[in-house]
Amino acid sequence: MMTSLYQHFPIFSIMVLFLGAFLIVLFGNVKPLRHAIALLAVTASLGFLIALVKPVMLNGEIIAYWMGARAPAGGYAIGIALEVDALSLFFGLLIATAVFVSCVYSIQYMRFDDNVGQYYTLFLMLAGGVMGLVLSGDLFNMFIMVEILTFAAVALTAFRNTAKGALEAAFKYLVVGCMGSTCILTGTIMLYAQAHTLNFAQLSAFIPGHMNTATVVAFALLYIGFSTKAFIVPFHPLAADAHGAAPASISVLISGVLTKSGIYGIIRLSYFLFQTMNLGTMQFILVFMGSVSMFVCVTMALAQHDFKRLLAFHSISQIGYVLTAVGLCTAMGVSSGLYHAMNHTLFKGLLFLAAGAVLQQTGTTDLGKLGGLSKKMPWTTALFLVGAFSISGIPPFNGFASKWMVYQSIYYKAVESGNIGFVFVTIIALVTSVLTLASFVKVSQSVFFGRLPKEYENVTEVPWGMRLAMSLFAILCVLTGLFPNVVTTYLTQPAANAVFNVANYINAMLGSGYAESVMGAAAPAAQAVTYVEVGLWQPVSWLLLLIIALLAVTIVAIAGKYDSVSESAAPADSKYDLFFGGEESVYSQVGGEDLFWGFKHNWRGYFNFMHELHSGIVNDYALWAVVALALVTLYMLIVF
Amino acid sequence: MSIVMSALQYLGYILIFPGFLFCFLAGLLLCGIDRKLVAKMQKRVGPPILQPFYDFFKLCGKETIIPAAASSKTVFLMAPLVGLASLVVLQLFIPVFNFTAFSGMADIIVILYLLLIPALANILGGAASGSPYAGVGLSREMVTIIACELPLVLVLLSVGKAVGSATGEGLTFSFSSIMAYQAAHGSLILKASMIPAAVAMLMVIPGETGSHPFDAAEAETEICEGLLAEYSGPPLGIFKLSHAIKMLTMTSLFVALFLGGIGGGIESLVALAGLSGAAAGGVSVLLEAIVLFLLCVVLTVVCISFVHAVTARLKIEQIFKFYWTVASGLALISLVLAWYGL
Repeated sequence: MMTSLYQHFPIFSIMVLFLGAFLIVLFGNVKPLRHAIALLAVTASLGFLIALVKPVMLNGEIIAYWMGARAPAGGYAIGIALEVDALSLFFGLLIATAVFVSCVYSIQYMRFDDNVGQYYTLFLMLAGGVMGLVLSGDLFNMFIMVEILTFAAVALTAFRNTAKGALEAAFKYLVVGCMGSTCILTGTIMLYAQAHTLNFAQLSAFIPGHMNTATVVAFALLYIGFSTKAFIVPFHPLAADAHGAAPASISVLISGVLTKSGIYGIIRLSYFLFQTMNLGTMQFILVFMGSVSMFVCVTMALAQHDFKRLLAFHSISQIGYVLTAVGLCTAMGVSSGLYHAMNHTLFKGLLFLAAGAVLQQTGTTDLGKLGGLSKKMPWTTALFLVGAFSISGIPPFNGFASKWMVYQSIYYKAVESGNIGFVFVTIIALVTSVLTLASFVKVSQSVFFGRLPKEYENVTEVPWGMRLAMSLFAILCVLTGLFPNVVTTYLTQPAANAVFNVANYINAMLGSGYAESVMGAAAPAAQAVTYVEVGLWQPVSWLLLLIIALLAVTIVAIAGKYDSVSESAAPADSKYDLFFGGEESVYSQVGGEDLFWGFKHNWRGYFNFMHELHSGIVNDYALWAVVALALVTLYMLIVF
Repeated sequence: MSIVMSALQYLGYILIFPGFLFCFLAGLLLCGIDRKLVAKMQKRVGPPILQPFYDFFKLCGKETIIPAAASSKTVFLMAPLVGLASLVVLQLFIPVFNFTAFSGMADIIVILYLLLIPALANILGGAASGSPYAGVGLSREMVTIIACELPLVLVLLSVGKAVGSATGEGLTFSFSSIMAYQAAHGSLILKASMIPAAVAMLMVIPGETGSHPFDAAEAETEICEGLLAEYSGPPLGIFKLSHAIKMLTMTSLFVALFLGGIGGGIESLVALAGLSGAAAGGVSVLLEAIVLFLLCVVLTVVCISFVHAVTARLKIEQIFKFYWTVASGLALISLVLAWYGL
């Protein structure tokens, strides 16, 4: 096979990140140099992956890359391999984009911190770790990357270690994160003992025909391991603590990148290595975990009174959508799940950056203390609203486009399979969306609208670099929402196609015909991924109509002197005071934790139960991890 | 030439029917009829039926005061406009029997989310005023939205399933197939399994339009109209207009989902009268519009005016409980029945 230059791009895109990390250790004391190195590394990494879009996404090539050209010998793939199919590249692109924007944001966001050199080193290690994970072609290297990213993430969580709770959050993350990593390692070892190989392609060819107790237990271990990386229930409390303490630019990575690596791991595991997703029992576990994450985390978010913790819970709730959609094992389900994963990276990144902007300018993210910031930070408010509308699934932003596909695919699956359970999943998904909206209305009212407290009279807008980073995400949010067909055609469908054509993945690595020769008749047949969308939604036409209607309204309004408003000239003019029923106007802000008590009152039993359950003690969370592992193992042993 | 013609046609849809002019007239008229009837039921004389029009034009001549505490002047002033525009655009997608201004652009699930935009505009506008009354109103408005969402979701899913399994598609969310099915097989409300869903939808209408007894979010007597507390002049007028149009939107949505079978009758009536071609199209659209409006009046009387006259305002947690138990329960019955092909 002729090696083209682009065959080397995957390793380059990983290498530049690690190289950048090491260079920053050496030259990190020089401020302009360290920014230049970091920016260069992340830009190069993104550039290499974008260059791969044409061969991998459009031409459907799968890049199999043996490090040091150590191709398999004697039937065993021993060398270190990278294998990049459309699924890997899809996640790689997401990661590179989020890392790039976060790096742009960091330059001004971290300017008041000490030891910024160390920050960038860890930042690039984390980015390189995740990138290596999704591009890796063998299980053991995946584990190595999991270790690198977990430790970098733990260290970055505690980076502002003088902040309250930072060390505690990092410790919790360390404990449960290590349990997850250990699960992955144990699972890897058990698979190695069974199959004598760690290469994904070879494992994928071997395992489906040799399922036994050991491989099933290994599956359960790996599944739980990747679940801890995705923070799905019951590992969600860690995410809340970690996001609450970490710098905002790191929250973007933890929520937009780290959770994605967990989802990627679960997809690789269940669709490729074990090829079990055609089983209803396997679909059940993914959809069940997804729905539970979706609902539990959105209700947890409603009870939060800290901006970043609230975002953290929403992050897991959205991951629940992704997991549910992926678990459906239909072409449309996988495609919509990946679409939502992408959108989640974009809008959640935007929201975390907005939270970081608020934290930097006011020094707090407590919803009970803030208010009225839109007066002082109009840009941040506008960008935040874009993110908030996106995550709440308000048309025409991207969250709606993907959620709407998710609803369709779940309900369609229900109709197809005749299983009424999926109808309830649809209902949970639809209701979760409006609960998401509710909690972002709460944030809008408590942080950006409402009354401005006296102590924030002198707050200013964030510097342009941070606004630029937020605007990048916001623009992407709008574009991916307006052109869903472009996204599905060029990004998610090729990735879904890769998911459903495992034989191609195996053969690209080990030579054509390998899958058929090892697996015999059981080899998965190639299938074209097609689906028909049941619903109708044309965002561009809708937007056009809205603009025409809005223009008509505005013209009439302006002709009618709508804009000739009367504003307070003298500061003490009582005409412009707020209405207080004749009493003297005082400062009063409605916001904070309890804004929707009308809802919470009816669910008080549930909320009290949840409150008691989330004790904040790491022992409990570790116990949850063990229980989850035991239950999943038991379930798998029973159903296989 | 034809491009200009079709552009003019679409502009006509947006500006005249079923867009702005129709929404304006029909919405405010519905509001006037509602107010008059409630007064009659309570043995008052009541305002003239055209009172909402007088109110609207009067408000447009008044001064717009922006409170000094308002956190965002832009949001405060833009919110009414965006809310009105999005509501009118939404109205364009709802079929008037066999006539739809813009078909194939949005299905019923999308409508569910487009309905959130006017409510959200209202909420953000109120939030931007800085008033604590608006803060309380916002909280209650949002809880009312959450409350109505579940029964509405269940109603839409059961309609989608009922029509889908009857037509053999398995599932449909598109308005045009729902209307086509009803034109062929009679209105959905005649289907026994859909009656609970229709009742649930009737219950949702007063909640979505914020009328008694589900008007905790506005509650003039306790929180001074909540979100609108600080609004005055034209912006207030536009919010009042949007509120009136929302009555039209919700009732015509009910007509489209459950009473859509009448359209065929109208067309055959027009054919009987010996009209054909463009004239027949025009006359039948006109007739359909009139029938739609009359049905909307009936629905408004049934589920807004009558309920308004005989009930007192519920507390917000009672509203929530009502919708998530009674209304959702009814809609769930329909969904399960539709699921098993009844």
